[in-house]
Amino acid sequence: MASQPMPSASISLQARGVSKSFESGRVRSTVLHDLTLDMRASELTLISGPSGCGKSTLLAILSGLQRPDAGQVIALGQDLGLLDIRALERFRLLHTGFVFQGFNLFPALNAVEQVELPLSYLGLSPSEARRRAVDSLEEVGLGTRMELRPSELSGGEKQRVAIARALAKEPELLFADEPTSALDAANGQIIIDILHRIARTHGTTVLCVSHDPRLVGHADRVLAMEDGRILSDRSPPSTTTAVPGLKESSA
Amino acid sequence: MVALARKTLIYEWRRFLPAIVAVGFAGLLQLLQAALVLGIFGSASVYITGSSADLWAGYPGTQSVNLGRPIDTGVEMRLLMDPAVTKVEPFHWVDADWRGPNDTGGVSVFVSGIDARPDSMMFARALPATLRARLNEPDAVIVDRADLGSLGVSVGDTAVINGHRVRVVGVSSGLRALGGVNVVASLATARELDTDPANANRMTYFVAKVNDPDKAEEIAQRLRGSNTFGNYDVWTARDFARRSQFYWMFDTGAGAGVLFLAGIVFLVGAVITSQTLVAAVIGSIREYATLNALGVGVGALRKVVMEQAFWVGALGLIGSAVLGALFFFFARSRSVPVELNPIATVGCLLLGMGLAIVSGLAAMRSLRRADPATLLR
Repeated sequence: MASQPMPSASISLQARGVSKSFESGRVRSTVLHDLTLDMRASELTLISGPSGCGKSTLLAILSGLQRPDAGQVIALGQDLGLLDIRALERFRLLHTGFVFQGFNLFPALNAVEQVELPLSYLGLSPSEARRRAVDSLEEVGLGTRMELRPSELSGGEKQRVAIARALAKEPELLFADEPTSALDAANGQIIIDILHRIARTHGTTVLCVSHDPRLVGHADRVLAMEDGRILSDRSPPSTTTAVPGLKESSA
Repeated sequence: MVALARKTLIYEWRRFLPAIVAVGFAGLLQLLQAALVLGIFGSASVYITGSSADLWAGYPGTQSVNLGRPIDTGVEMRLLMDPAVTKVEPFHWVDADWRGPNDTGGVSVFVSGIDARPDSMMFARALPATLRARLNEPDAVIVDRADLGSLGVSVGDTAVINGHRVRVVGVSSGLRALGGVNVVASLATARELDTDPANANRMTYFVAKVNDPDKAEEIAQRLRGSNTFGNYDVWTARDFARRSQFYWMFDTGAGAGVLFLAGIVFLVGAVITSQTLVAAVIGSIREYATLNALGVGVGALRKVVMEQAFWVGALGLIGSAVLGALFFFFARSRSVPVELNPIATVGCLLLGMGLAIVSGLAAMRSLRRADPATLLR
């Protein structure tokens, strides 16, 4: 539960005593038990754990998509609990990016349009939006496939378009939910490498939720979750060379 | 700005096709219905719209031109006394019974007794000069081409109206009547056919031309005041034509039927269109939710849905306009009475667009399911 202070990076995202429970019928099940944690910029933090351990709910709460029952989330110095729905949307527009397990790309748009779409709502000029979209797609290695629609792209390429879509907004916070679980090993590897590189080169706080043990070796920090609690919080020693660290990812 | 709505519409056209077709057919049905209503009920006022008179003087309170009662012939003098009136002409209406040479039984006919001179006002727009001239022959009548069958005659045949022998000297087109059959005769012939002795020295209508048609309303107002020659009223041709059409449309219940049908068409179209648009929104709900997660507001997403609804409406209505025009000219060529004016056309198209917009609003509601938290499963 406790976070290990790391003086080199600033804390960008904090959870303070966050709890969440769901009711189904008469049964009330607590998904998150009084969680407190800090996340730092320029780091790829991986939350791993078996399905149903509450990691997706934690991601939803940390990213402002859901509100906790108790506790607070402070993102970039802003208490998300104080923002109304409009302000939260605005906050997400300006500061956060998302990558989901399903790539959720519009079938009608080609890669560069997928990336441009959210940018146009940021109030960027069309030429600036286009430039950023192209840069992002080149960064994820799709510079030659920008004119293709989702139906013409492989799964790994689609996920890279989704990452470019999140990246082009130049967010301080990037959330990824099971980004590799629909992909084969090679593509999963590419995706996690890209996410890791984004954290390093853009100073982005990347929070990735996954039960995929292959990712552990690529994270700067691994939080193991089970039954709504964080069991361990480790920083694998060297993450630049991929050493699969499957020590005790999920019990 | 990425044109998400339009690109999706083009790329997934199969998904949107039912909505486009529904709007198109709803628009087409409204247009055809309007054309038929205007065409059929327009023939209620063909005596007025087919003539070049600016003013009509008739019995007070006359609700439709076919319901005229005789007025004093002195009214003609009263009209001519007004400096703005340049010309006055009588119009003799006779409800009569027709017996044709063939076995058609009795047919109820409306005899229009008109001035047969070439420059007269009555039916100036409906009868060509040569045809009109033939009315000067004794006992000559003209019937509409479309009524030849029901009257059981052809040109040159004789028939009997109110016991008086008449001869068909020609056929007109576009002079079909509502609730009966039009027969055109000269004033002299009509007088022969009118068997009611009370109508001697009386005339059903007097029609007049004025020097400035733009002031017709003002002049009618002025002439209406006096009742020196018994009771009569004066209307502008426009008002009287509209009054006749409205009488048929509403007092006969046909108008209510038409409005009811228009409502049904609107409802069915809106149900199909909204269901299709809802399905399209639901089909892209995860993508919409992702946009919302990325901070694109619900308002902006609603705009996308409404834009799609607008394009669905526009495409559907282009289809209605093209098909409507084809049907319209086909009907015309078969002498089906159809008529469309710009206001009715625009009204029908706006109704179609309204249908698309209402459906878009319904589809917009399903955007509520675009909750990004549901993507985190």
